[in-house]
Amino acid sequence: MKVLVLLDSNKYVSDIHGFIMKAGFSDASLVAVSNVEVSEGFDKVYRVGDVSSDILVKLGSEIGDFDLYLAPHSKKCIEALSFYAGSRGIPIVTEVTDFSIDEGRIYRNILSGRGLVSYKFTTPMAITIATGKFKGSISKTPEIINMDISPSTQLLSTEEKAFGGVDIENADIVVGVGRGFKAKEDLDMAFELAKVLGGEVGCSRPIAADYHWLDEDRWIGISGKKIRGKLYIAIGISGAPQHIMAANDVKVIVAINKDKNAPIFEYADYGVVADLYQFLPVFLERLKTRLGV
Amino acid sequence: MDVGVIVKAALDVNVLRSDPSGRISIESIPLVISEYDRNAIYEGAKICESTGGKLYIYSVLTWGPMERKLKDFENVIREALALGGEEAFTVVDKSINSSEPMYTSEILAKLISKYGSPKLILAGEASTDMTSSTLAPYLAAKLGYNVATFVKELKLGDGYVEVLRDADERLERLSVSLPAVVSVTGEINTPRLPTLIQIRRAFRKPLHKFTLADLGLSPIMSRYEDYKVVTVKRKNVIIEDESLEGVADKLIEHLIQEGVVKR
Ligand SMILES: Cc1cc2nc3c(=O)[nH]c(=O)nc-3n(C[C@H](O)[C@H](O)[C@H](O)COP(=O)(O)OP(=O)(O)OC[C@H]3O[C@@H](n4cnc5c(N)ncnc54)[C@H](O)[C@@H]3O)c2cc1C
Repeated sequence: MKVLVLLDSNKYVSDIHGFIMKAGFSDASLVAVSNVEVSEGFDKVYRVGDVSSDILVKLGSEIGDFDLYLAPHSKKCIEALSFYAGSRGIPIVTEVTDFSIDEGRIYRNILSGRGLVSYKFTTPMAITIATGKFKGSISKTPEIINMDISPSTQLLSTEEKAFGGVDIENADIVVGVGRGFKAKEDLDMAFELAKVLGGEVGCSRPIAADYHWLDEDRWIGISGKKIRGKLYIAIGISGAPQHIMAANDVKVIVAINKDKNAPIFEYADYGVVADLYQFLPVFLERLKTRLGV
Repeated sequence: MDVGVIVKAALDVNVLRSDPSGRISIESIPLVISEYDRNAIYEGAKICESTGGKLYIYSVLTWGPMERKLKDFENVIREALALGGEEAFTVVDKSINSSEPMYTSEILAKLISKYGSPKLILAGEASTDMTSSTLAPYLAAKLGYNVATFVKELKLGDGYVEVLRDADERLERLSVSLPAVVSVTGEINTPRLPTLIQIRRAFRKPLHKFTLADLGLSPIMSRYEDYKVVTVKRKNVIIEDESLEGVADKLIEHLIQEGVVKR
């Protein structure tokens, strides 16, 4: 088995190694193509300047053919791996959450997380791995080969995104805010609630991506973060599957929404049909009294 | 400049239907326009308006059975035309029964090179039903075009597009030479709603339908085996009381009993 791994950040190495170990491919020849320093866990590392869309196409003739092409489910890796798969006519399956090599099946979610589909595992195949589903480490000291590749697209500049360093994926309690909030200042109520409960504030996509009221590391959903704590309180969130299915692994879900027909109630353990502007101040006050804070 | 938009008639994720064994009945789920395709159409329409080009819609009916899905599919294409498309080229074939980038891209590549072959093809960042984000780059490779995905800003230059793309941790500004396939995020613009006149006009715009044989392609074999519903059991208790204080107190007691809030 020959495995090629495309990497654009060191934080995914454990996902990749976990996947390879679970598959029992640890003895395989592991070759990485990466723009970051990878000092362990591969036989060979091709260091490149950028994981550009055509990086694998350009490297292809140099590094040869593989049975399996793996990458984390990051935006640049999806692009570069799909572009390569397209150029070679190799099937690609993204955001794989589980697999069984014995049965020759790999799994991914569809329909915004409401469905699961299984594919036949064949080689060659390209796969991006869902974040946080596999964990492992393989010790091998790679031979590093520096490559000088100029991509077909020209990078003009980069802008770092602002992140508050919040880790909602591992938070026990998350208070989620959605478009039911009318102004950024009103989110203070949610922050206060999170503080009283010892949790973090998360949000729906529009709050981060459209309004920029909160940083993207608080964005919950299939295109944001998955949460798996013990409590999620969704406030002023309608309950689109793209949002709420990312909270599937949370133990208890509470929904506060003024529309009694909002889909969020179908996904909630406890629902409160109320205007958040009326309910939250009361809830906060009673909670503080009850908890003695 | 002419622009093409690839549009998907996607399974409506809000209408999930399954049989008692938990198998999803794809055949009875309605199709709707994939949400972020609207953003792609609007972005394309703006370019065509400012450059005097024509906006082509390309689409393949990927979900079967064809007879049951055809009406929804046509509605989706009419919607795309009402949103700004001028002419639609589509493939509808009995043998197509699943949505896989490997096959869809091959069909689209044929369709695009045969009809219009615009130098800029736009797509949504992901389809609402499969959300793999692979089709745009896969198609670009098939067409021999450049690619940029998850684009939040798009500016047309002379023979290139300048894009601001989301790269998770950072944003990257790229210059991408044409021809190119570009996928756009849901935040790139706010698509306008079509007016009644635009909706009516859409029915007079040309909508071409081809089979795989028309394009010289052979029937498709699907790799899917089964689709299962993901079930998560929730208690679905609506908390009621005469006063909001009462509701709050009851909620707090539930949370304490669940052991998720500590006194
Ligand atoms: C491919 C794709 C990926 C996506 N990825 C994500 C994702 O990762 N995360 C995500 O969140 N979304 C995602 N979306 C978008 C998603 O479909 C929804 O549009 C979004 O989640 C809606 O956010 P919301 O619930 O905050 O807003 P809305 O849907 O507008 O809901 C607002 C809710 O607030 C309620 N409300 C209003 N006023 C009050 C009040 N005073 N008191 C109480 N309740 C009130 C309303 O009744 C309503 O239910 C994605 C969409 C697509 C197509």
